[in-house]
Amino acid sequence: MAEILVELGVAFLALGLAGALAARVDQSVIPAYILAGVVVGPNAPRSVGPVDLTLVSQSQILGVGAELGVIFLLFFLGLEFSPERLLARPTRLLGVGATDFVVNFGVGLGVAALFGFPWLTGLFLASIVYISSSAVVTKALVERGWVADPESDVILGTLVFEDLLIAVILSILTAVALGGGGAMAVLSSVGTAAAFLLALAAVAAYGTPYVERMLSVDADELFLLFAVGTTTLVAGEALVLGVSEAVAAFFVGIAFGQTDHEHRLEAVVGPTRDLFAAIFFFSIGLTTDVTAFLDVSVLLAVAVVATAVSKVASGVAGGLFYGLSRRRSLRVGVGLVPRGEFSLVVASLATTAGASMARTDELATFTVGYVLVMSVLGTVAMRYADEATAFVGGK
Amino acid sequence: MTVYETDVPGVGRKFEYELDGDDRLVVLIHHDGKREVFRRRSAEADSEKLFELSDRQAREFGTLLEGAYFQPVDLDRIQVPLGDEIIQWHDLPPDSSLVGQSLSDCGIRQQTGTSILAVQRDGETVANPNPDFEFEAGDVVVALGTRAEHQTLADLVAD
Repeated sequence: MAEILVELGVAFLALGLAGALAARVDQSVIPAYILAGVVVGPNAPRSVGPVDLTLVSQSQILGVGAELGVIFLLFFLGLEFSPERLLARPTRLLGVGATDFVVNFGVGLGVAALFGFPWLTGLFLASIVYISSSAVVTKALVERGWVADPESDVILGTLVFEDLLIAVILSILTAVALGGGGAMAVLSSVGTAAAFLLALAAVAAYGTPYVERMLSVDADELFLLFAVGTTTLVAGEALVLGVSEAVAAFFVGIAFGQTDHEHRLEAVVGPTRDLFAAIFFFSIGLTTDVTAFLDVSVLLAVAVVATAVSKVASGVAGGLFYGLSRRRSLRVGVGLVPRGEFSLVVASLATTAGASMARTDELATFTVGYVLVMSVLGTVAMRYADEATAFVGGK
Repeated sequence: MTVYETDVPGVGRKFEYELDGDDRLVVLIHHDGKREVFRRRSAEADSEKLFELSDRQAREFGTLLEGAYFQPVDLDRIQVPLGDEIIQWHDLPPDSSLVGQSLSDCGIRQQTGTSILAVQRDGETVANPNPDFEFEAGDVVVALGTRAEHQTLADLVAD
């Protein structure tokens, strides 16, 4: 017990320090949290001079915490999911979102094929490079003040579209991966997933009064317990049935977001999400061996260049299609470059679900390296986008 | 008043208030209550951040903007209460029946009950005008009377 407490203490302090450093240099906390895990974890670097740096081991409690992190990241994604944004200008956003998906998922599949990944692992890889990071992008939008300008409508609309699509993709991929071998097994597991998620969607659509009543408690602590309890239980039951727990949590989030309690959930459950999401990123760092980056360096370099270019291109096309000027359209492209938490969530699902899948270790290592590069590259690119857009010239 | 409201997932809500043509004030209200206020001068311009307030500051500042502490009034049209009677200013439109008539011709006091204190003409004030003072278009009549009497005078002036 004493040992675990000390390790947890070290973990939280390391996270705090890393987050403070990230804030100092105007970066997202996500890469900082991962690096904190790398530094104090069991892999290299193991020591600085005489100081031992293998302070935290991958314990079960951290594993559970990381799993809760995934669940609450997706729960909040559902909670903040705003159909009104999709419905405001449906045809245009559909065009923008479809372009974004076809181009970037396609480039991801191309990269996977080029490096000889089997098809299922390849689909996971394509999802990883497809989805932009809501957390990193939104934070940068607010910091750069772009949030007040029209390009933010397209960027946020694209993110909402991606969120919905990734929920669909994840539920299918997890079902296929868990189904393992034969066509029948895959079919039945896809069927179970579809039935379970349809039931959840029905609750989200029609169960609002019941959810509303359950959450109508005065004390914040009871409110927190009901919200966390429901989300965790539904996610757990989903996993028992072989359905993606992350997608289940996403639907619970949508159901909760339909009630009048959205603001209270943000305020009361937000800290829980922050805590467990930090553990999730940290524990990814713990299991990452940075020396293994060398083995995937070519893949990493190709993927970074190809998907950064494709995101900018699809974003510019989307912006122009939406009716923005060239300057604003370029910002849409640059603004969607950061990848982060959801790429890591997809990779962690590939690891847990894909016991039968080939090359998942390589995929996990690649994803960590990819997210570290893309989250920082994206934020830096947004910082210099104003100068770049000046170069492209006024309109 | 035109206000555009949009959701900013994970941040809060955004309101765009149309000032004049394309000129807009953009208010971003964060879930934690923080307000950020931007101004976008034209559709193509970049928004510039004007200021940022905490929830409490924004509410206090909001009451100032709303005029809860001080409501500015049109100084030329101020109403000065004297018991039940008030002093009011009345514009004489060019087509008023009073134009060209002298003060004694009109019999304003008999008809309306108000007393004429002064007449403002071209920025000059004729205080306590003589009975033979003739009204011209554009004059401003300063009169003392009750609200009902002022209403009668206003009707007479506009007649």
